[in-house]
Amino acid sequence: MTDPLAVETRGLTRLFDGKPAVSSIDLRVPAGAFYGFLGPNGAGKSTTMKMLTGLLRPTSGEARVLGADLSRDGLSVKARIGVVPDGLALFERLSGSEMLRIQGQLYGLDRLVSARRAAELLDAMELASEGGKLVQDYSHGMKKKLALACALIHGPELLFLDEPFEGIDAVAVTGIRRMLQDLVTRRSLTIFLTSHVLEVVERLVTHVGIIHRGQLVAQGTLDEVRASGSLEETFIRMVGEERAPGPGLSWLGTRSEAR
Amino acid sequence: MKEALRALVELRARLLWRRFTTRGGIAEGVASVVLLAIAVPVGVGFAVAVGFGAYQSVRAGGGLRSDVGAAAIFFGLWQTWTAVSLTVNDREGLDLHRFLLYPIAPGRVYGMGLATGIVGDPMGFVWGAMLLGVFVGAAMARPGAWLGLLAVTLAAFAVATVVLVALIQEVLGLVLSTRRLREWATVLSVVLSVGFLALVLKSTDRPYRALGDILPSLRVLQWIAWPAAFPAAAARDLFAGRSGASLPWIGGLLVSTAATAWISFHIALRQARGAGPSGGNASGGGPVRSGRGLPGGRMGALVEKEVRYLWRQPLARVDALLAPAIAALVAWKLEPSIPLEAGEALRALPLFGVALYTHLLLQAFWLNAFGWERGGARVMFLAPLELAAVLRAKGLVLYLFSLLLFLLSASVLAVVGKGSAPPWAFAAALLLHAGAAPWLLAAGNLVSILRPRASSFAIQRSSALSTFSGLMGMAIISGVMGFFALPAVLAIRNESTAQLLAGWGLLGAAGAWTWWKAVPKEARLLAERRDDFLPTVCGDDA
Repeated sequence: MTDPLAVETRGLTRLFDGKPAVSSIDLRVPAGAFYGFLGPNGAGKSTTMKMLTGLLRPTSGEARVLGADLSRDGLSVKARIGVVPDGLALFERLSGSEMLRIQGQLYGLDRLVSARRAAELLDAMELASEGGKLVQDYSHGMKKKLALACALIHGPELLFLDEPFEGIDAVAVTGIRRMLQDLVTRRSLTIFLTSHVLEVVERLVTHVGIIHRGQLVAQGTLDEVRASGSLEETFIRMVGEERAPGPGLSWLGTRSEAR
Repeated sequence: MKEALRALVELRARLLWRRFTTRGGIAEGVASVVLLAIAVPVGVGFAVAVGFGAYQSVRAGGGLRSDVGAAAIFFGLWQTWTAVSLTVNDREGLDLHRFLLYPIAPGRVYGMGLATGIVGDPMGFVWGAMLLGVFVGAAMARPGAWLGLLAVTLAAFAVATVVLVALIQEVLGLVLSTRRLREWATVLSVVLSVGFLALVLKSTDRPYRALGDILPSLRVLQWIAWPAAFPAAAARDLFAGRSGASLPWIGGLLVSTAATAWISFHIALRQARGAGPSGGNASGGGPVRSGRGLPGGRMGALVEKEVRYLWRQPLARVDALLAPAIAALVAWKLEPSIPLEAGEALRALPLFGVALYTHLLLQAFWLNAFGWERGGARVMFLAPLELAAVLRAKGLVLYLFSLLLFLLSASVLAVVGKGSAPPWAFAAALLLHAGAAPWLLAAGNLVSILRPRASSFAIQRSSALSTFSGLMGMAIISGVMGFFALPAVLAIRNESTAQLLAGWGLLGAAGAWTWWKAVPKEARLLAERRDDFLPTVCGDDA
């Protein structure tokens, strides 16, 4: 018997000005999996994630999230997922605690419940002392942590994280990594994550999908995809382009001509 | 350094070009052409008028007629130029903060920003034509070498006006983005308002007379408008043929301009080197405060978010200070000039004007309802929300804010004007304000969805509306005013207050019905356009 799927797409495609950013991909993310969606810059990771979370309409194809058709049951699906999108989704003129509480209410939580959870999440993210500060005055790492808290406040079944480790320090990465591992192992949450940081991904994920130039080039459990090598070796082999350094750039290292 | 400046000029030109060639650029281009088509004949018309004024002043060769002409030209032009520039000036293309990384002197970037701001302003043609009109009129009246000094005066006047506008913008930005200064500014404005009202209430006669008595001693205040006061004084001497006497005034103008530019630049530099794009430490840190707020539920959360956003919006604060101040000015200057025998309807006009003006003042919010959401706009599409609820919450909060401004302004009008408007006029004005709102909000939602613009919270950085949205705003307001003018014309002709109230009531009810029916359709349009809408509002394609 196959695992129930948290995310399933068929021929999912998105064109921009007639050119494919994502080209007919068939994703299969088992429920309870920690799914790493990898690819080089511009491969189509964020576009795929935007289509799966309702931020972008597919040009063609189908997407089922938690068993429901996103285009038809958008609101019920959204209530069950949490998202940390590329560029984050934060109201910068709210304080951290206001942002979290209001986010909870927007997802249908009672005001008091939302306020209590907001306080707990701020504490867990080590932002409790900064809860009264406006989001615009947060550092990049603090905003990432707050965005993750926002994605969790309503207790989602499926979490979409777009580059959660980008631009944050090693200590914060470790903290977030532990939290995500805990969410998957103890709370049966499904996580769909995109990242460039392959060594972190390799230590976290159970399943991997690799996208290159808009096409899914590999998908399966971590062991299936990496076979006998490391994930980084597999990734480079699938999407890397060997390029010998050219004869140019000879001016680098010489005295600047700028006046 | 020349290369760097050339690059800056090219950057500005390319940004302008991209504005017309990227998404929605055609609409922007058409709007700019329309604005220019309006600006050219207006500019030529005003240039001829002001040129004729200059001609007559020079021919008078001194005396009261010449003095009044010189003062009218410079103070009138300065006032209009400043007001328009503060509303529509767009200097985002050369935001100092972005250029601190480059090896270019910040002063040059700032100066270039000011200079290209004049060229990029469609109204620049009008101001330029009017100054040329003054010069040509004066030259026709009395050719001679003195025209060289007049040319210097006019050029320095233009620079001084632009520089003072920049200073006002920088100071407003500083005051509104720094918590401590903002609190002091609020206290100061309250003290000034209370003092002004006390002065008015203390007078036993009509307030304008009491104030009129003290105005002569306040003549010194004209120097607050120094970009107009110096050239007016210089022109007075030049028109009278006293070229030598004009030199100190021209010198004063140049020195004041340089000093203002220096102060303005250093404030901008301080802010650019400050806390980042927010332009200052807008909030206090510290732990979570106990949650005050509106009742729960999705709608409650949406409304609460809108209330907090509006409250923390510098532009809204400026509007809250501006609306009562303008009402006071209208009551002081305009109301007394309407004779008692003019009839109740005419005496109520200032009040009706204030009702519409509060909507006009807030047009940036209803024509670009999502302009300040940035990344937060994604929440509308990620959370399980009906987009119609988002639009309704926005409309509701903005209407309540507008109502608050109107009530404040109407109270000021009543106090300062000492009740020159009849009592029924307040009910009618309230009806007009409430009745116009849904029409404006329904039409504004469409513009907000079709032509969104990621706007800066720092009010001195950019205009909150695109040229197209501004033009649409003019059309919408004119249309709504036309609608509501019909019952007013009928009521004045038939001298029937009841007809006016009934007409506005009906129009308002129709507006409310239209808004209610339009919102779900606009929400569907928003959902359909999200692929274009989100990158623009979130600033991803900025």
